[in-house]
Amino acid sequence: MLQTIRPKGRVIFAYLLIPLAVYAFAVFVPLFTALYYSFFNWKGGPVKTFNGITNYVSLLHDRVFWESFGHNIYLIAACIIGQIGIAFLFVLMINSKTVKLKGIHRTFGFFPSTIAAVSIGFIWTMVYDYKRGIVNWFISSVLHISTNGAQFVWLNRPELVMLLISIPLMWQYIGYYMVIIISAVSSIDPSLFEAAEIDGASEWQRARHITLPMIKNTLLVCMTLCIAGNMKAFDHIYVMTSGGPGNSSMVMSLYGYKVSFTQMNMGYGSAISVGIFVLSLLIIVISQTALTRLTRESEV
Amino acid sequence: MEYGIKRQSPAARITIGVVFNAILIIFSLTCIFPLLWMLMSSLKLKREFNASILSLPAAPSISNYITIMTNPDYHIWQSMFNSARTTFLSVFFIVFFGFIIGHILARVKFRGNRIVYYAMLLGMLIPIHSLLVPIYVVFNRTGLNDKWFTLIIPYVAFGMPISVFLVEGFVKSIPIALEEAAAIDGSSFSRTLFTIILPTCTPILTTIAIIQVFSCWNEFSFALVLMKSVNLQTVPLAMTQFSGQFASDYPKIMSAMLLTMSPIVILYFAFSKQIIKGMVAGAVKG
Repeated sequence: MLQTIRPKGRVIFAYLLIPLAVYAFAVFVPLFTALYYSFFNWKGGPVKTFNGITNYVSLLHDRVFWESFGHNIYLIAACIIGQIGIAFLFVLMINSKTVKLKGIHRTFGFFPSTIAAVSIGFIWTMVYDYKRGIVNWFISSVLHISTNGAQFVWLNRPELVMLLISIPLMWQYIGYYMVIIISAVSSIDPSLFEAAEIDGASEWQRARHITLPMIKNTLLVCMTLCIAGNMKAFDHIYVMTSGGPGNSSMVMSLYGYKVSFTQMNMGYGSAISVGIFVLSLLIIVISQTALTRLTRESEV
Repeated sequence: MEYGIKRQSPAARITIGVVFNAILIIFSLTCIFPLLWMLMSSLKLKREFNASILSLPAAPSISNYITIMTNPDYHIWQSMFNSARTTFLSVFFIVFFGFIIGHILARVKFRGNRIVYYAMLLGMLIPIHSLLVPIYVVFNRTGLNDKWFTLIIPYVAFGMPISVFLVEGFVKSIPIALEEAAAIDGSSFSRTLFTIILPTCTPILTTIAIIQVFSCWNEFSFALVLMKSVNLQTVPLAMTQFSGQFASDYPKIMSAMLLTMSPIVILYFAFSKQIIKGMVAGAVKG
């Protein structure tokens, strides 16, 4: 590089100072604050007492926290299958010659992902509502299944609630992943498909042996997005069930929030935050190595 | 398969075509249905909605809208203004800072270059939601919580890494000769930065702006912990309050939701091509 374009250190410093200060203040300072307060018994007031690793010991034995972690994993699994899987099938359908209105499917399908998760949560709360919800309306008015006036309160069922909550999450982002995958598929050299067609490969064979391997990297990106997105699930669930009934739809960040702000147990809340940090990072690193190794093996 | 050469019969082809089309049309309808349902229901009164949730309004009335718009206790306009201000300023700074840092990382060799790079990379990896509680503690301690500018700080910080990397990648693809020529002609670093590099980067900066407008307007959890005053609430926060007040009056909630959603919905349908393109580019490159 020419020496002349190289600005003085002073200039660079001036340019970087404010952005990096803001960045450090909102990202690194809270991180260390959480670490610091996680060693205290602190209820948010002026009094706080050092209690060593007590918070972390209770965190390890906290059934609710680990259940919440399990729910995050559940959501990841549900969304990898339900979002990326369904999106991939939709892309195959859209790319088959018989399907019309491709542009409309893209525009409409993508739309829910631009809406606030809070709004999505509200809409689905209304869909599941026991008295005026669409699901119960459908059961009684369309399927004519008599409920004898005793309507089903969907979101109050501990055994169903995770499934019901993952449906809006999946639905919201199917179109998003669909569009990402479409753009990856459309960048595949069409002569590959033509050659395969001439050789007599069926549509399914073309999908399996050409499309899938060619968009592997994109699918990898989608899965990474999916995992990161579901580790931070919060908004939908806050609106729809707020973790209930009991803790049967609790996720980690919501649990941290509840412990810190409803129980005002900020010390333990900080320990939970550190726990979320470590677990999320762990999951992301593990899944990254697993996914890259998996794709490398299939290339051999 | 053994019979790879076998062709599907025309009947099977047509059936498959119909099924595929039907599935996709149903999916697209479900995506747009909430919007239509809310629009339809918002024109009904509570009684009519409760009687039949899916019918067209018998006597469309905008009284729900009039109530929520005129009663200042609901803070609809206030919350939309707050969201607009927060979004506009956050996006401006994300783009501006992202541009400067991204360009410096791509072009200027200095001692801290890698440090800044890894700090940004770390920001991409950090699960932001683990900061929810500690960020409240920090902002509370420094007295920065619950101000009109409060949310801009985390939004800018969280949006910066992706923006930096998108710009960095883009600047690296611009021929360096451009800057060299400018330098030979006596243009200073800052002047080259703003009069030559900035216009060249417009496409990527637009992409960043698009992604961030949506994420800032829709952001909920940090607003929830950092904001208390009712008159400083952003839209998602106001919606949770509002629906608590009117738990049983769905048409009113729906009209409020539709109203506060409208800027983003209009924006989306007006520029859907560019928005989809921008979001996809951002997701894949980031």
